[in-house]
Amino acid sequence: MDRQEQIEFLLDHYENPRQKQPMSGEGVVAAEGGNPDCGDVIKIYLKVDGDGKTTVTFEGEGCTISQASASYLSEFATGKTLDELARLDYNDLIDALGREIVTQRTRCATLSLETLHAAIRKRARLL
Amino acid sequence: MKTDTYAHPEVLVETSWVSEHLNDPSLRIVETDEDVLLYEVGHIPGAVKIDWHTELQDQVMRQYLDAEDFAQLMSEKGIGRDTTVALYGDKNNWWACYAFWVFKLFGHPDCRIINGGRKKWIDEGRELSKVVPAYPKAAYQAPRRDDKTIRAFRGDVMAHLAKKLPLVDVRSLPEYTGERLHMPDYPNEGALRGGHIPGAKSIPWSKAVQENGAFKPAAALAALYHGEGITPDKDIVTYCRIGERSSHTWFVLTYLLGYPNVRNYDGSWTEWGNLVGAPIER
Repeated sequence: MDRQEQIEFLLDHYENPRQKQPMSGEGVVAAEGGNPDCGDVIKIYLKVDGDGKTTVTFEGEGCTISQASASYLSEFATGKTLDELARLDYNDLIDALGREIVTQRTRCATLSLETLHAAIRKRARLL
Repeated sequence: MKTDTYAHPEVLVETSWVSEHLNDPSLRIVETDEDVLLYEVGHIPGAVKIDWHTELQDQVMRQYLDAEDFAQLMSEKGIGRDTTVALYGDKNNWWACYAFWVFKLFGHPDCRIINGGRKKWIDEGRELSKVVPAYPKAAYQAPRRDDKTIRAFRGDVMAHLAKKLPLVDVRSLPEYTGERLHMPDYPNEGALRGGHIPGAKSIPWSKAVQENGAFKPAAALAALYHGEGITPDKDIVTYCRIGERSSHTWFVLTYLLGYPNVRNYDGSWTEWGNLVGAPIER
C-alpha cells in the first residue's frame, strides 16, 4: 500500500471498527491497558473455542491510531490460535499498520497488542 | 496593567468568525494536531494540515526548519507573507500554539489562534470536511530564523537560573515533582531524571483554559500568573517536556497578557532531565 492507501486503511478501521463489542460468558478473559495521558484506553476480550481458535473483541477510546490498531488486531487475531497470537510482535503490528505513519506513535499503535498479550497471560494464570 | 481585555485580542479568533471567513482568500486555516490522523478524519473546510513533527522540524537534527525550508513549506501550503494564518488543533491547541511560535521564529506577520481549537469547533456542530484543498503555490521570502527573542536554549536557562529569574514549568504536577519520569505514550521522549529546574514555578498550562477549551478571560489569567509572581516586568522562560505545552503558556503570557519578555525553552525536560550535571529540584 502507498501512504495514502495506508491512511485510508487506518481511517476505515477507526471509523468502522471491527470486533468492537464486549464479550461475556464462561471462558472469556478481559484485560485493560491504557495511556492515560493521551486518553487511550483499550479493553481486550479473549475467548478460546473448543477447536483452539480464538475470538478477540475490544472496547476503547482514544486517538485514531490506537483505536484503528485495536480494530485491526481484533479482526486479525480472531480465528488464530493462542500460540500464533503469542508469537505476534510489535514490529509485525507496526508493519501492518504502516510503519511510516505510526512510527512517531508506536506506543499508541502497539497498545492493543500489549493488552492482548496481557489477556493471554491472564488466561494462562486462571487455568 | 489593564486586565479586563486581552493585550492583543486580534490574535485570537472565534469559531464563529472562522465560519464567516471560510472563503476568504487572504486567510489560510491551518490544522496541526498531536493525533497525526485527525485532519484526515475531518477538518475545517479549506484548512490545510501542518504536521508539527515532520514538517516544522529538521528530520535529522533536533532543530526547526531553516529559512529556506520554511519558505518552501509556506509556499506549498499556499501561504504568502501577507496571508493571515489561523491555527487550530487538538489538545487545547497545544500544537497550534507551537506552530504559532515557530511561525513567529520566522516573523510571519499575521498569525492567529482559533479559540477553543478543534474540540470547540466540533462541539458546536460546525461542518467538517475530508476534502484536502489544493492552493496555488505562494511566493514566500522568509527571514533568518530568530532564535534570540522568543526562544531559549539550555545555556540561556543556566544563565537565567544563575540570575534567579523566573521560570514557569507548565507540566502536570506529577511531572514537576518528579513522580513521573515521562509520559507513557511518548516512548522516545523520556528523561533519565525527574523533577524540575530549580526555582521554577509550577503553573500547569491547563489552568489557562476553560472547560470548552477556550482561553480564560484576561482578568482570570492575570490573577493566575500574578498570584505566582509571574508579572510583566520580568524576563520569563517557560518550559514543559518538548516545548508544545509551554508554547501554549508562552502564547498566553505574550499575546493575551502582553508580557514583553517571554521565551520558550523548547529543549524543555527532555533536554534538561537528560543533561549531565544540570541542577534539578524535586
